[in-house]
Amino acid sequence: MDPALRTAATGMIAQQTRTEVISNNLANVNTTGFKRSRAHFEDLLYQTVQGAAIVGQPDMNATPPIQIGRGVRLASVQRLHQQGPIEQTERPLDLAIEGEGFFQVQLPNGQVGYTRDGTFQLSDEGTLVTQQGFTVVPGIQVPQDATQVTISRTGTVSIERGAGGVASEVGRLELARFANPAGLMSMGENIYTATSASGEPVLGFAEEDNMGRIVQGYLEGSNVEIVQEMVDMITSLRAYEINSKAVKNSEEMSQIANNMVR
Amino acid sequence: MGISYPPTGMTSASFALRYWERRQEVAANNLANVSTDGFKGERAFARLVEGALPEIGAATDLRTGPLTPTESPLDLALAGDGFFVVQTPAGERYTRGGALRFDDQHRLVDGGGNPLLGEDGAIVALPGELVPEQTDPGMPAATGGAGNALLQIDRTGRVQLAGRTVAQLRVERLAPGAQVTHASHNLFVPPAEGRLNVALEEREVRQGMLEGSNVSSVSSLVDMISIQRAYASVQKAVTTLDGIRGVLTNEIGKPS
Repeated sequence: MDPALRTAATGMIAQQTRTEVISNNLANVNTTGFKRSRAHFEDLLYQTVQGAAIVGQPDMNATPPIQIGRGVRLASVQRLHQQGPIEQTERPLDLAIEGEGFFQVQLPNGQVGYTRDGTFQLSDEGTLVTQQGFTVVPGIQVPQDATQVTISRTGTVSIERGAGGVASEVGRLELARFANPAGLMSMGENIYTATSASGEPVLGFAEEDNMGRIVQGYLEGSNVEIVQEMVDMITSLRAYEINSKAVKNSEEMSQIANNMVR
Repeated sequence: MGISYPPTGMTSASFALRYWERRQEVAANNLANVSTDGFKGERAFARLVEGALPEIGAATDLRTGPLTPTESPLDLALAGDGFFVVQTPAGERYTRGGALRFDDQHRLVDGGGNPLLGEDGAIVALPGELVPEQTDPGMPAATGGAGNALLQIDRTGRVQLAGRTVAQLRVERLAPGAQVTHASHNLFVPPAEGRLNVALEEREVRQGMLEGSNVSSVSSLVDMISIQRAYASVQKAVTTLDGIRGVLTNEIGKPS
């Protein structure tokens, strides 16, 4: 009965992992620019069990072998980069991307990170930075005397000095795009880095090359849908329960076998 | 395994115990894969060897599992029967679809990285097609961030990338009597003979859908209960047979 016990245990572990993924999605239901994940499972190896044959009876056909599976394992946790809802905030340095691009940020270790979270601010030196203080590529300087910062749909940053002053351009945000965004690695803090699976980033500007457009005064919400996650959680819980019943059943059968010898 | 002939009651009982244990293993594997995309459950049954000895037999239940819309253009499923074909290091394998992606060589691959096969081999995107030119500057791609918004697969399995027809997916079904075997990783080994190409008009390819496991947890649970009961009954038969032998050796054979 041991194999059945272990098989059922893999089922319980799988459902536990699925619940962990769902919990993380639910925990991030209000995280700006968060992309939900989905757990995928695959069946484990199969054991071929040979059928019986009767000794000394050559005309007897042996029963054909059968395959008995040995459970399930986690195949992948896939991030789904679907567009989240665009929510109005009225804050001039809140930016959302409607489309497929990512903002690029300069990480302290020299790498370039990618994010959909456009909650930007100005550093003490007037540089456009993320909430964590990482410079947004290409490093836009806003002078201290600027009274208004305008960021267009195409990512052009312009400022005005004084009331009714003339607008002057100070830079343009550069976006990146990936052939396979699901392959990006999450670094936490809403930042991703490129991997061989995601492919090399394709750089460009908003409103060009299918990057999408930048919307000022808005943020992209999390793409987690609570109802969907709740339904998944209930299914997962039930599946967990049913696998625990399989464990119990297998255990009881071993007990029956043990009772054969008095 | 060799067995003595003719079988005794004890042999029958031991075969029955092993048979029900195997049944339990199959039921446990079906239940463990209740959330595995595209999983096909096994149905176990008894074959009688020599009219008295139950030996396990099994067949794969190829019924279509429930289809769930996912809105991801890279999810692929078959609403009818049949299989997609993928190339693995061990040869061609069957799959029922699942979450696909483009690998670093721009090939369309399954979750395990095996290229999905069209009629002319692997499906390769040109580098530019995954980053297509925007046709309407006012309207960014509505699906946003999916990365492959311009991948379109129609019901017959015709793959289009940015409007260019790239390939026609291979969809095969089994000839009557032919069987697939499980290869794990959600793949199946196709039979050596009896592979039929599904005609275009009979195909039911669905993009943006995932096929769930076809295991019914309720019927598997009921199965498990009856397995346990049957196992207990056989155990009783063993104890009874043993009791009879005990009488034989201890009572009848007792020197008076």
